[in-house]
Amino acid sequence: MDLTKEQKIRLYTNLVRVRKLDETMVKALLTGKISTFFHSGEGQEAVGVGACSFLREDDYLFPSHRGHAISKTLIKGLPARIILAEHYGRITGCCDGVSGFHTCDMKLGIPGMSGTLGGHFPLAVGMGLAAQLRGKKQVVMVIEGEGTYARGTFHESMIMAATWKLPNLFIVENNQIMGNTPVKIIHPKDDFADLGFGYGVPAKVVDGQDVFAVHKEVQTAIDRARADEGPSLIECKTYRIQPHAVGLPDTLLGRPRTQEEIEVWRKRDPIKLAQKRLLKEGVLTQVDIEKIDGGAANEMEEADRLAWADPMPTDPKEILKKALYAE
Amino acid sequence: MREIKFVQAIIEALEEEMTRDETVFIIGLNVQADPILTPVRLVEKFGTKRLREVPIAEPGILGCGVGAALAGYRPIVHSRFVDFFMPAADELFHKAAKWRYIHGGKVTIPVTFLAGIGGYLGGGGPEHSQCLEGYIMHTPGLKLAIPTTPYDLKGLLKTAIRDNNPTVVLYHRILVGAGTSGLVPEEEYTIPFGQADIKREGKDVTVVATGLMVFMTLQVADQLQEKGLDVEVLDPRTLEPLDIETILSSVKKTHRLVIVDEDTLRCSVGAEIGMQFMEKGFDYLDAPIKRVGAANSPIPGGFMECYALPQPQDIADAITEVLGIKESFQVKPLELLKPGRHMGERLGYGKKEN
Repeated sequence: MDLTKEQKIRLYTNLVRVRKLDETMVKALLTGKISTFFHSGEGQEAVGVGACSFLREDDYLFPSHRGHAISKTLIKGLPARIILAEHYGRITGCCDGVSGFHTCDMKLGIPGMSGTLGGHFPLAVGMGLAAQLRGKKQVVMVIEGEGTYARGTFHESMIMAATWKLPNLFIVENNQIMGNTPVKIIHPKDDFADLGFGYGVPAKVVDGQDVFAVHKEVQTAIDRARADEGPSLIECKTYRIQPHAVGLPDTLLGRPRTQEEIEVWRKRDPIKLAQKRLLKEGVLTQVDIEKIDGGAANEMEEADRLAWADPMPTDPKEILKKALYAE
Repeated sequence: MREIKFVQAIIEALEEEMTRDETVFIIGLNVQADPILTPVRLVEKFGTKRLREVPIAEPGILGCGVGAALAGYRPIVHSRFVDFFMPAADELFHKAAKWRYIHGGKVTIPVTFLAGIGGYLGGGGPEHSQCLEGYIMHTPGLKLAIPTTPYDLKGLLKTAIRDNNPTVVLYHRILVGAGTSGLVPEEEYTIPFGQADIKREGKDVTVVATGLMVFMTLQVADQLQEKGLDVEVLDPRTLEPLDIETILSSVKKTHRLVIVDEDTLRCSVGAEIGMQFMEKGFDYLDAPIKRVGAANSPIPGGFMECYALPQPQDIADAITEVLGIKESFQVKPLELLKPGRHMGERLGYGKKEN
């Protein structure tokens, strides 16, 4: 199914929004507004945007920590102000300021963010079971960095989701670097998509810099899941432009990362690629592009201003007490 | 009231709650096939989707429970061996226990973890004999019940399933296997968490005991009665929340406290209860508190098991010690341990049940 003009513009706009929010958060960390850390997702926007732009509100989404999940959560509908407010410890944050950086909004189908990497997989299968029992054709999407696909949780989850034909989508955001280690030295094959074969799960490799390609492949998998045909695995090849976390040394195996490699990938920046295509197709003009850029910049500036001005919790002990056990 | 077996109380609680609420389902190894816990009748009544058979994949199984609970269901995750929860520590101790808290209380996780605990099975060794209530009580965010009678089990399990929090319900494998029975009303009832039960009244010494240790202590208490010692046996029934007030008021009367718990002694439930008591009830005591528990070692297998697990004589000696009695009164081994010549029989398999 071909995308409409509006859908293409939406994908492009979302790429720009995520990039502007990422920049806002890098700045917030460097100026001391964020007290924990920030793992910039610059250059990887097309994966989350392509996968999440057309999810239903009642679909479930487990996002990875990269970019603190903004390329998924912002796109699923969580306002930038609420994401920022959580990082700033404000009462208006998505977790009342308790989490610091975990994201959660059950109304948007975002059940939370795991501290242990790979912790989402079995939870997603449980949600897949619930979705199947409920029978409303919801899908459950997990997007995780390639490093987590070594976890036993993933392999157990594939067996269960495939056996029970659950509406699960496993999306590998392969940025090729795990912390300060190139993933090729700790994984036996080039493609993580190969992992689908043993479980009988359809798997594809897709260019993770191309938002339209990601969307197309993910949409096919979503359609399969909604038709009760079971889970899919999609590997999106991308690249981490920034260090593991902002402010940390940018090394690979103890040596500084070569700028040449980064430059190669910067040339395939997902925003630039999408821009080129949409200009060529006549979907957007240069004026439209500037307008979208300005609009996203304004959105994030305002979100940052409002979030920073939001109040801190007046009774943090009471908030923490209520958070521990439900009534 | 009618007398039913321990395992029947589990089945009745599961069947009643699954009938009452269609979001309740069971997931675990052999749940479609366990000859004593899930009779074929349950599978026929509720179908295979609500008795979800699983591969050997504990993180997957426990994680499924947490995930389905996040999505609004009330799963019951079952394992005959609580030991097998350890591969799923991330799912139990992080995801179930901490997920609500770290997300500011924005999600609820109404999952029940139901598991068999304990040794005395003929020597199952260190990974088939543990109780693990110490780890669970240590972890904020979980609730914990250890019922020891069919009445307590049915009432507490039903409460756990309806609770909006991750709840762990531990039953002793011996109590299922030995076919212990007790009085249970025909009509519906539940038991709230956080209410201790005095299983035997006495005026000389309070013994706080959990799980199978309640049975062991009751049999010891009957034998010590013949020597003129009047032992009060108190079963907290739930460890989180813990009814410390009932323990305090009991010791206010007896002035002496022994705590018996089958888990490893170091950093145990007994240590926690004892210290909580010291902070609030030191002045009631006429003697130091005494603890009885498993040795600070793994649990050996086969015929060596009895050297690590608490025995009735250990309980009797602790009681006489806090009473300042120099003499040791000999007591009999636990009668429940007699039936069954091998582990399978002690677990309850090998004879027709229900």
